[in-house]
Amino acid sequence: MASYTAPLRDMRFVYHELMDGAALRRLPGYEEIDAELVDSVLEEAAKFCEQELVPLNRPGDEEGCRFVAGEVFTPKGFKEAYAAFTAAGWSALAFDPAYGGQGLPKSLSLLVDEMLCASNVSFWLYVSLTHGAYQAMRLYADEELKARYFPKMAAGAWSGTMCLTEPHCGTDLGLLRTRAEPAPDGSYRITGTKIFITGGEHDLTENIVHLVLARLPDAPPGIKGISLFLVPKFLVHDDGSLGARNAVSCGAIEHKMGIQASATCVMNFDGATGYLIGEPHRGMRAMFAMMNTERLAMGLQAIGHAEAAYQGALAWARERLQGRAAGGAKHPEQPADPLIVHPDVRRMLLTQRALVQGMRATAAWVGEALDVALKASEAERRQQAEDFLALMTPIVKGFFTDLGFECANLGVQVMGGHGYIREHGMEQHVRDARIAQIYEGANGIQAMDLAARKLPMHEGRLAEAFFRPVNEFIAECASDARMAEFVAPLKAALERLRHAVDFVLAQREASEVGAAAYDLMHLFGYTVLAYQWAKMARIGLAKEAGEEAAFYRAKVETARFYMQRILPRSEGLAAALRAGGRSIMAFDDAGW
Amino acid sequence: MKILVPVKRVIDYNVKARVKADGSGMELANVKMAMNPFDEIAVEEAVRLKEAGVASEIVAVSCGEAKCQEQLRQALALGADRALLVETTVELQPLAVAKLLKAIVDREAPRLVILGKQAIDDDANQTGQMLAALLDWPQATFASKVAVRGEEIEVTREIDGGLETLAMTLPAVVTTDLRLNEPRYATLPNIMKAKKKPLETLTPAELGVDVAPRLATLKVEEPPARKAGVKVASVAELVDKLRHEAKVIP
Amino acid sequence: MSAANKVLVIAEHDNRQLKKATLCTIRCAAQLGEVHLLIAGSGCAAAAEAASQVEGVAKVLCSDDARYAHPLAAALAPLVTSVAHGYSHLLAPATTFGKDLMPRVAAKLDVAQISDVIAIVSPDTFKRPIYAGNGIATVQSRDAIKVLTVRATAFDPAKVGAGGTALIEALAPIDVPAHTRFVGQALAASDRPELTQARVIVSGGRGLGSAENFHLLDKLADKLGAAVGASRAAVDAGFAPNDWQVGQTGKIVAPELYIAVGISGAIQHLAGMKDSKVIVANNKDPEAPIFQVADYGLVADLFQAVPELTAALG
Repeated sequence: MASYTAPLRDMRFVYHELMDGAALRRLPGYEEIDAELVDSVLEEAAKFCEQELVPLNRPGDEEGCRFVAGEVFTPKGFKEAYAAFTAAGWSALAFDPAYGGQGLPKSLSLLVDEMLCASNVSFWLYVSLTHGAYQAMRLYADEELKARYFPKMAAGAWSGTMCLTEPHCGTDLGLLRTRAEPAPDGSYRITGTKIFITGGEHDLTENIVHLVLARLPDAPPGIKGISLFLVPKFLVHDDGSLGARNAVSCGAIEHKMGIQASATCVMNFDGATGYLIGEPHRGMRAMFAMMNTERLAMGLQAIGHAEAAYQGALAWARERLQGRAAGGAKHPEQPADPLIVHPDVRRMLLTQRALVQGMRATAAWVGEALDVALKASEAERRQQAEDFLALMTPIVKGFFTDLGFECANLGVQVMGGHGYIREHGMEQHVRDARIAQIYEGANGIQAMDLAARKLPMHEGRLAEAFFRPVNEFIAECASDARMAEFVAPLKAALERLRHAVDFVLAQREASEVGAAAYDLMHLFGYTVLAYQWAKMARIGLAKEAGEEAAFYRAKVETARFYMQRILPRSEGLAAALRAGGRSIMAFDDAGW
Repeated sequence: MKILVPVKRVIDYNVKARVKADGSGMELANVKMAMNPFDEIAVEEAVRLKEAGVASEIVAVSCGEAKCQEQLRQALALGADRALLVETTVELQPLAVAKLLKAIVDREAPRLVILGKQAIDDDANQTGQMLAALLDWPQATFASKVAVRGEEIEVTREIDGGLETLAMTLPAVVTTDLRLNEPRYATLPNIMKAKKKPLETLTPAELGVDVAPRLATLKVEEPPARKAGVKVASVAELVDKLRHEAKVIP
Repeated sequence: MSAANKVLVIAEHDNRQLKKATLCTIRCAAQLGEVHLLIAGSGCAAAAEAASQVEGVAKVLCSDDARYAHPLAAALAPLVTSVAHGYSHLLAPATTFGKDLMPRVAAKLDVAQISDVIAIVSPDTFKRPIYAGNGIATVQSRDAIKVLTVRATAFDPAKVGAGGTALIEALAPIDVPAHTRFVGQALAASDRPELTQARVIVSGGRGLGSAENFHLLDKLADKLGAAVGASRAAVDAGFAPNDWQVGQTGKIVAPELYIAVGISGAIQHLAGMKDSKVIVANNKDPEAPIFQVADYGLVADLFQAVPELTAALG
């Protein structure tokens, strides 16, 4: 909706109260990040998003990108907005200060990302991919490449892409065919075609840095024979200035359901010059560094859509007069009561509210782990954070993006026909949110990543990164009578999840794991949100008598709604999961 | 040349203010606060004068509760060099603010004071003029264009029905109108730098200023609700109603 | 109200006659006590003469001097303060003239100033809008002299030439400070205010039928000093540029007077203007939803009504 305003109060709540931003300051490098600075960054980011990006969102959707003879033009206003965005330094937010970045905590940049997504997800994608490329290079590229590319990427002057998918292979990257031939000067010649490349070509930056998966001539077959290469659109001289155009070009852009202002490109590499990132044949590892960053980012996209849809639906439900309240007119002086008096409308709004704020709280927890993994001086603490991130990545990607779509869809439902028509911008959130369930590994793949890879890993150690703090929290609350109504359902959900995890880990047949995976991912997700809501309820109860009573009381009431009306979904999921995969796998092929 | 830029913490421009149920004032609990938009324009103009080499230092000042620091930090992030907070929990009315500002001017000796023409909370539109009176300085209110030429400042003012241009010898007070400029966004590096810029806190007592209110607000009420509309039969009747009933046309 | 109250109104004038806002201020002043009028100008005898015949004016103080050729606050404030102590109230219209001058006067007298008064409750208690009119404050002054600016639209103008024969008294000019010099002025009739700041908006819808017909609204807007807006439908049809659009996806406006011409009143448009103080709707369809929010509805063909209205505004 044109009326999106960044939920700054709730963001400050998760950063300072739920997450303990003061503790974050004790990490080396974050000493300067006090509450005042965090608040000013959030406020300025909000101002930029609301004033510059929100107004471009719907026009960008209507106009879309244009492809003309190999060049891609973003919609009117994007170029100016991107220039303003980089001039204000936002592209450098979480980049390493050693390369011109601002080095702010991930916990903070995630909140800014959420605002960007809610305001204009197409715009944000150009920014987000640059950051993903940075992550992969930070871990695996040599210093020479970093020194040559990072300052321009931090400044937003150059953007990044990730080139994985090929026409015949998407999820199964073991099939990929793009070739890399060593050249005498130590570089490589890359040849092949990549599709679905977000930001592969556009007019926002002077150069584009493609990270490309390809096979060396001596590569073993399958996934273990893939290497990662950096392929710039324009070659870069030693002094950092731009040289000749590289042999990489955009062949077409896709016409698609949503994110119309984001260029989704077919990229042709015709002997393009590339540089190896990391070791030969170990490209998937580097690519996953980027991929995991992007997977978490997709969760933020989901929160953005959910928040924007909630705000739009809420404003509509308060203004639109239709029908009378069940118990008699609430506003007899008006021709009808506002929509918000009706139980089902309230159900929808509270569902959005409980899901979006629960997701935001979880994202802050994940952000904190990202910061600990990056900055903590103790190896053990870093390892625990890494465990937690590995566990949460498929949940944030798979579960959140499903909820993001649900919330956007509820936004349309609250507005009825006015949500379905384009005028109010609500249906755009549904179309834009839909892709998040697909790209960066479809949600089914996320479920498999959780069930078949993350949970069995290290004898089930990863799950403990979740179970341990929740059990501690439950123990802490044991003597708090007011918390009982929140802790009891959380405890029950945790038990259900524990049984479900044990059930899945005990399966011998891969098809049984596969059949259970999606329900398990959702069951896990609802339990994570239950934990966050119980934590938020505890803070709400402690503060509901003080200043800002209404804000904290709303936290308690939303927590209650979540426990009573949303969390029971986990019972259905547990029941379905425990029924096993036979009804799925035994279905006769002749019966389709 | 030193420029003093007073800024006020007010309700955010985008928030619709509501009257408190008990009629004692406006509902400000949990309401988003921001720098008064006209003051943002004042800060921007000062920064432009500094960028143009006209000004050498910009001092932002705010009077009010401790939270005004947020707005001062914003002014610092936008380009002010240092900040002063005159901290008090007393309700400050324009005359009291003008007296505090005069005391600051006496200490700081700026050549130019730029501030918003009015604050969007009390809509008084007085402080700049009062400050100029107390200092016996020239004033140019509602500025839409400012040019400093040596010891003279030329200001184009937005007056009813058009523009007026005045030339004043410095020091002077200028109040800003909307068309003077379009304020920039604070950049992320500048937000971080603002943290390290000096922010000094003073009290009205230290400045020797009596800030006791001169006006008592007896109550605040909602504006009259919209009356049920009527159909008029002719243009003549419409004009008559607009003139004598609604009183919105001359 | 009280015989003890003496009120000095500082006139805004063009040397020949009083501005209408001054007449409204005189009407307001008459509620407080005996009204004197201060006219400072250069060659302003005609204005003083006219003022002497305005209903409710007991005395006119006239300071006719080249120093007052331009109504600069820095020049006028010393003159006003020199006579202020004979009065309980000093009033000026809440125009850019009065708003520029009166705070300077008040500070010189070390008293508060009360802006935009819309009602007199008692000689020391007044009503004024705050928070962009979202609240109406009742304020009481504790100062010996009350310095007010008066919102002209809240008071009828005092009658001109209604038989009053006030004494005209010459007032000697006072030295004006040398620090301010008048350079020039440019009064532009066609320079319309911006939509979001306009006091009056004339807005057109699809009923206008074409971009050419939109110019009908220009003349009306010029008469009213109004901004011109448009509905989404009119913008989509290419009748008006996009930055004229009023509505949920365009600009949100709340002027004192909003005149909707040929606009049906889609909910999207209403969201952008329903907080306007007075809404006038002109549409030929009596069932148009815009009439549900209009204070004054005129069911008529706009091609007749708009020129007629323009002419009626003189």
